Amino acid sequence: MTSQNKSDEDTAWDLLSEAGLIDIPDDAFPKRVTEAKRAVMERLDELIELSSHPRECDSAAYSLATLKKLEITLKQK
Amino acid sequence: MTAAAKHSDLSANWPSSESQVITFSSKEGPLTGVVKEIRWGLVWRDFILEDGRVIPEHRIVGHPNPPVWRKPEEISQSEREECERRLVSMADAGLDPRNDEQPFRAELNQYLAYTYLRYKQAKPKPDTSENADVA
Repeated sequence: MTSQNKSDEDTAWDLLSEAGLIDIPDDAFPKRVTEAKRAVMERLDELIELSSHPRECDSAAYSLATLKKLEITLKQK
Repeated sequence: MTAAAKHSDLSANWPSSESQVITFSSKEGPLTGVVKEIRWGLVWRDFILEDGRVIPEHRIVGHPNPPVWRKPEEISQSEREECERRLVSMADAGLDPRNDEQPFRAELNQYLAYTYLRYKQAKPKPDTSENADVA
Protein backbone atom coordinates (compact mmCIF):
# COMPACT_ATOMS: atom_id res chain seq x y z
CA MET A 1 0.00 0.00 0.00
CA THR A 2 1.42 3.36 -0.97
CA SER A 3 1.07 6.36 1.25
CA GLN A 4 -1.26 7.89 -1.35
CA ASN A 5 -3.62 4.95 -1.03
CA LYS A 6 -3.70 5.06 2.71
CA SER A 7 -6.99 5.90 4.32
CA ASP A 8 -7.31 8.97 6.53
CA GLU A 9 -7.53 6.66 9.54
CA ASP A 10 -4.28 4.89 8.56
CA THR A 11 -2.52 8.21 8.14
CA ALA A 12 -3.76 9.59 11.43
CA TRP A 13 -2.80 6.34 13.19
CA ASP A 14 0.74 6.54 11.77
CA LEU A 15 1.12 10.21 12.73
CA LEU A 16 -0.07 9.73 16.28
CA SER A 17 1.88 6.52 16.70
CA GLU A 18 5.12 8.22 15.61
CA ALA A 19 4.38 11.12 17.97
CA GLY A 20 3.75 8.73 20.88
CA LEU A 21 0.22 10.00 21.31
CA ILE A 22 -1.89 6.87 20.98
CA ASP A 23 -1.13 5.46 24.41
CA ILE A 24 0.85 8.07 26.31
CA PRO A 25 3.19 6.52 28.91
CA ASP A 26 2.48 7.36 32.56
CA ASP A 27 5.25 9.90 33.03
CA ALA A 28 5.08 11.49 29.57
CA PHE A 29 1.95 13.58 30.06
CA PRO A 30 3.71 16.80 31.22
CA LYS A 31 6.11 16.59 28.25
CA ARG A 32 3.33 15.93 25.76
CA VAL A 33 1.34 18.88 27.12
CA THR A 34 4.38 21.14 26.70
CA GLU A 35 4.87 19.88 23.12
CA ALA A 36 1.21 20.53 22.33
CA LYS A 37 1.50 24.02 23.80
CA ARG A 38 4.48 24.75 21.54
CA ALA A 39 2.57 23.49 18.48
CA VAL A 40 -0.36 25.79 19.27
CA MET A 41 1.99 28.72 19.89
CA GLU A 42 3.65 28.20 16.50
CA ARG A 43 0.26 28.20 14.82
CA LEU A 44 -0.83 31.24 16.78
CA ASP A 45 2.30 33.11 15.66
CA GLU A 46 1.46 32.28 12.04
CA LEU A 47 -2.10 33.47 12.49
CA ILE A 48 -1.04 36.70 14.15
CA GLU A 49 1.35 37.31 11.27
CA LEU A 50 -1.45 36.74 8.77
CA SER A 51 -3.74 38.95 10.91
CA SER A 52 -6.81 38.01 8.91
CA HIS A 53 -8.27 35.00 10.72
CA PRO A 54 -9.51 36.27 14.07
CA ARG A 55 -11.81 33.32 14.72
CA GLU A 56 -9.10 30.70 14.41
CA CYS A 57 -6.76 32.99 16.32
CA ASP A 58 -9.22 33.21 19.23
CA SER A 59 -9.68 29.46 19.15
CA ALA A 60 -5.94 28.81 19.26
CA ALA A 61 -5.52 31.33 22.09
CA TYR A 62 -8.22 29.56 24.10
CA SER A 63 -6.51 26.18 23.56
CA LEU A 64 -3.17 27.70 24.50
CA ALA A 65 -4.62 28.98 27.77
CA THR A 66 -5.97 25.50 28.52
CA LEU A 67 -2.64 23.87 27.83
CA LYS A 68 -0.79 26.40 30.00
CA LYS A 69 -3.13 25.65 32.92
CA LEU A 70 -2.68 21.90 32.41
CA GLU A 71 1.08 22.29 32.14
CA ILE A 72 1.29 24.18 35.43
CA THR A 73 -0.98 21.75 37.25
CA LEU A 74 0.77 18.61 35.98
CA LYS A 75 4.22 19.98 36.80
CA GLN A 76 3.13 20.38 40.43
CA LYS A 77 2.42 16.64 40.73
CA MET B 1 -26.80 -14.82 27.39
CA THR B 2 -23.52 -16.02 28.88
CA ALA B 3 -20.43 -13.82 29.04
CA ALA B 4 -18.67 -16.08 26.49
CA ALA B 5 -21.56 -15.87 24.05
CA LYS B 6 -21.70 -12.11 24.40
CA HIS B 7 -17.98 -11.85 23.71
CA SER B 8 -18.21 -13.96 20.55
CA ASP B 9 -20.88 -11.63 19.21
CA LEU B 10 -18.64 -8.60 19.56
CA SER B 11 -16.72 -8.63 16.30
CA ALA B 12 -19.85 -9.27 14.27
CA ASN B 13 -21.66 -6.36 15.88
CA TRP B 14 -18.92 -3.76 16.25
CA PRO B 15 -19.02 -1.44 18.04
CA SER B 16 -20.12 -3.33 21.08
CA SER B 17 -23.47 -2.54 22.54
CA GLU B 18 -23.95 -1.92 26.23
CA SER B 19 -23.62 -4.78 28.72
CA GLN B 20 -21.21 -6.78 26.55
CA VAL B 21 -18.01 -8.23 27.91
CA ILE B 22 -14.85 -6.96 26.23
CA THR B 23 -11.22 -8.02 26.47
CA PHE B 24 -8.61 -5.27 26.27
CA SER B 25 -4.84 -4.92 26.53
CA SER B 26 -3.29 -3.40 29.64
CA LYS B 27 0.08 -3.18 31.36
CA GLU B 28 -0.94 -6.23 33.39
CA GLY B 29 -1.88 -8.20 30.27
CA PRO B 30 -5.33 -8.87 28.83
CA LEU B 31 -8.23 -7.83 31.08
CA THR B 32 -11.98 -8.02 30.73
CA GLY B 33 -14.84 -5.74 31.66
CA VAL B 34 -18.52 -5.10 31.03
CA VAL B 35 -19.37 -2.17 28.76
CA LYS B 36 -21.70 0.40 30.28
CA GLU B 37 -21.47 3.09 27.62
CA ILE B 38 -19.66 3.91 24.36
CA ARG B 39 -18.72 7.55 23.93
CA TRP B 40 -17.02 9.50 21.15
CA GLY B 41 -14.03 11.56 22.23
CA LEU B 42 -12.29 14.18 20.09
CA VAL B 43 -10.54 11.47 18.03
CA TRP B 44 -11.67 7.95 18.93
CA ARG B 45 -14.39 6.08 20.80
CA ASP B 46 -13.98 5.28 24.46
CA PHE B 47 -15.67 2.29 26.05
CA ILE B 48 -16.75 3.11 29.59
CA LEU B 49 -16.97 0.01 31.74
CA GLU B 50 -19.41 -0.61 34.57
CA ASP B 51 -16.61 -0.17 37.12
CA GLY B 52 -15.73 3.28 35.70
CA ARG B 53 -12.62 2.37 33.74
CA VAL B 54 -12.31 4.05 30.34
CA ILE B 55 -10.85 1.95 27.54
CA PRO B 56 -9.95 3.43 24.12
CA GLU B 57 -11.38 1.40 21.26
CA HIS B 58 -7.98 0.57 19.79
CA ARG B 59 -7.02 -1.36 22.94
CA ILE B 60 -9.99 -3.70 22.69
CA VAL B 61 -9.47 -7.16 21.21
CA GLY B 62 -11.24 -7.40 17.85
CA HIS B 63 -11.52 -3.69 17.16
CA PRO B 64 -11.72 -2.60 13.51
CA ASN B 65 -8.28 -2.04 12.01
CA PRO B 66 -7.72 0.79 11.35
CA PRO B 67 -10.22 2.06 13.89
CA VAL B 68 -12.76 4.62 12.79
CA TRP B 69 -11.63 8.05 13.96
CA ARG B 70 -12.99 11.56 13.74
CA LYS B 71 -11.12 14.23 11.82
CA PRO B 72 -10.13 17.46 13.62
CA GLU B 73 -12.37 19.46 11.31
CA GLU B 74 -15.38 17.45 12.53
CA ILE B 75 -15.00 18.87 16.04
CA SER B 76 -16.97 22.02 16.74
CA GLN B 77 -15.62 24.89 18.77
CA SER B 78 -18.16 24.27 21.52
CA GLU B 79 -17.28 20.57 21.78
CA ARG B 80 -13.58 21.38 22.03
CA GLU B 81 -14.15 24.10 24.60
CA GLU B 82 -16.34 21.78 26.71
CA CYS B 83 -13.53 19.23 26.64
CA GLU B 84 -11.00 21.91 27.62
CA ARG B 85 -13.15 23.04 30.55
CA ARG B 86 -13.52 19.46 31.78
CA LEU B 87 -9.77 18.90 31.57
CA VAL B 88 -8.94 22.04 33.55
CA SER B 89 -11.61 21.14 36.09
CA MET B 90 -10.24 17.61 36.53
CA ALA B 91 -6.67 18.92 36.81
CA ASP B 92 -7.76 21.52 39.39
CA ALA B 93 -9.50 18.74 41.34
CA GLY B 94 -6.14 17.03 41.71
CA LEU B 95 -6.75 14.10 39.37
CA ASP B 96 -3.58 12.47 38.08
CA PRO B 97 -3.29 11.37 34.43
CA ARG B 98 -0.87 8.62 35.45
CA ASN B 99 -3.79 6.66 36.88
CA ASP B 100 -4.56 3.97 34.32
CA GLU B 101 -7.92 3.78 32.59
CA GLN B 102 -9.36 6.77 34.45
CA PRO B 103 -11.45 9.50 32.76
CA PHE B 104 -8.83 12.28 33.14
CA ARG B 105 -6.13 10.22 31.47
CA ALA B 106 -8.50 9.12 28.70
CA GLU B 107 -9.72 12.62 27.93
CA LEU B 108 -6.27 14.24 28.16
CA ASN B 109 -4.76 11.60 25.85
CA GLN B 110 -7.44 12.28 23.25
CA TYR B 111 -7.13 16.05 23.60
CA LEU B 112 -3.37 15.90 23.01
CA ALA B 113 -3.84 13.59 20.01
CA TYR B 114 -6.49 15.94 18.61
CA THR B 115 -4.29 18.99 19.18
CA TYR B 116 -1.39 17.30 17.38
CA LEU B 117 -3.53 16.40 14.37
CA ARG B 118 -5.06 19.87 14.31
CA TYR B 119 -2.01 22.05 14.76
CA LYS B 120 1.25 20.21 14.47
CA GLN B 121 1.12 17.82 11.59
CA ALA B 122 -1.64 18.93 9.31
CA LYS B 123 -0.77 22.63 9.46
CA PRO B 124 -3.99 23.54 7.68
CA LYS B 125 -4.36 26.88 6.05
CA PRO B 126 -6.84 29.04 7.92
CA ASP B 127 -10.37 28.23 6.83
CA THR B 128 -12.03 31.35 5.55
CA SER B 129 -15.47 29.83 5.10
CA GLU B 130 -18.35 31.23 7.09
CA ASN B 131 -18.94 27.95 8.93
CA ALA B 132 -15.37 27.31 9.94
CA ASP B 133 -14.92 26.43 13.59
CA VAL B 134 -18.49 27.18 14.50
CA ALA B 135 -20.43 25.01 16.91
